[in-house]
Amino acid sequence: MFVYEKKLQYPVRITTPNPKLAAVIISQYGGPDGELGASLRYLSQRYSMPYPELKGLLTDIGTEELGHLEMVGTIVHQLTRNLTEDQIKTAGFDTYFVDHTTGIYPQFASGTPWTAATMQSKGDLITDLTEDLAAEQKARTTYDNILRLSDDPDVNDVIKFLRAREIVHFQRFGEGLRLAREKLDQKNVYYINPSFDK
Amino acid sequence: MESTKASQTSQSNQSNQSSSQTAQSGICGTGCGTLPGKCAPLVFPYVPMQENNPERFSQQDALNAGTLFPGLYLPFHKELKTRFPANNTALSELMAIDFAIDELGLYLTTHANDAEVLNLYWSYIKLGREGRERYEELYGPLLQTDLTPGSFKWLDNPWPWDLEGNQ
Repeated sequence: MFVYEKKLQYPVRITTPNPKLAAVIISQYGGPDGELGASLRYLSQRYSMPYPELKGLLTDIGTEELGHLEMVGTIVHQLTRNLTEDQIKTAGFDTYFVDHTTGIYPQFASGTPWTAATMQSKGDLITDLTEDLAAEQKARTTYDNILRLSDDPDVNDVIKFLRAREIVHFQRFGEGLRLAREKLDQKNVYYINPSFDK
Repeated sequence: MESTKASQTSQSNQSNQSSSQTAQSGICGTGCGTLPGKCAPLVFPYVPMQENNPERFSQQDALNAGTLFPGLYLPFHKELKTRFPANNTALSELMAIDFAIDELGLYLTTHANDAEVLNLYWSYIKLGREGRERYEELYGPLLQTDLTPGSFKWLDNPWPWDLEGNQ
């Protein structure tokens, strides 16, 4: 089971509200390569992992992603505190505001609600770990793009931390994939699916 | 194992020059792989295994960098103005030690035989317990099940997403 710890993984302290930036960053909450999809992807894929190292790897990273979900929600929440009548009319944020006021809702920056169609759980360890490598790079690129769009030092500080985690996770998934391959027939790693075939 | 034999025969062409340099009765050196030939340099995407007992940042630097390992610190090119909000020492100290613990725990999932890091991991966990007590004395419980004599302090503001919760 999960136990909640009443602190963030990394401090989030946004001093200047900025609804326009919030409307972009919401994508890492519920967008195509966001933290909600990341945590659900890994925490779902772990059931079919045949080796203990891979069960541990997906549990660890999936859990950390839940912590990142909380951090991104916190950024958006703090960027939209105490908005003025004028600020809620900010182009790009007004369309979010009309549906959610300043509540936190998992959606793409473009407004599409979070969808499980952005992730996969295939029941095959090579397939799933290969998807996970790509997923970490997609999230890393999204954080790169947020850094290109943001000039707020408080926001950048948190985003660069989250970006750095994607790189570490990519490394670990790569090591997990190598570990998986070592346990398979090296001449043909596709000979069987050890997640399914006995 | 028919498919294995089939792939071996398909490899019996003599085209792969680099493979002969490193191939030693099927064992492939670092930076090389066996699929789809006998032995050849890796192409993208590749992830080299992190070496055992890798170089590490201090805990506070690690939290700042987003990784405990200098080898995995690969920042984005853009010149960033950033502000690390480290005025609450008990909180930032606890975050730094907990981050080092998380990072080492994750490292150990793919390096379970690294005895040196395992010992370090356990010593950090002990340190973390002390930091946790200091934090809770100052700011209240981290877990709902923490004992808070006098009243049920779990509900007290600030919560982690409040601005005041990160000061």
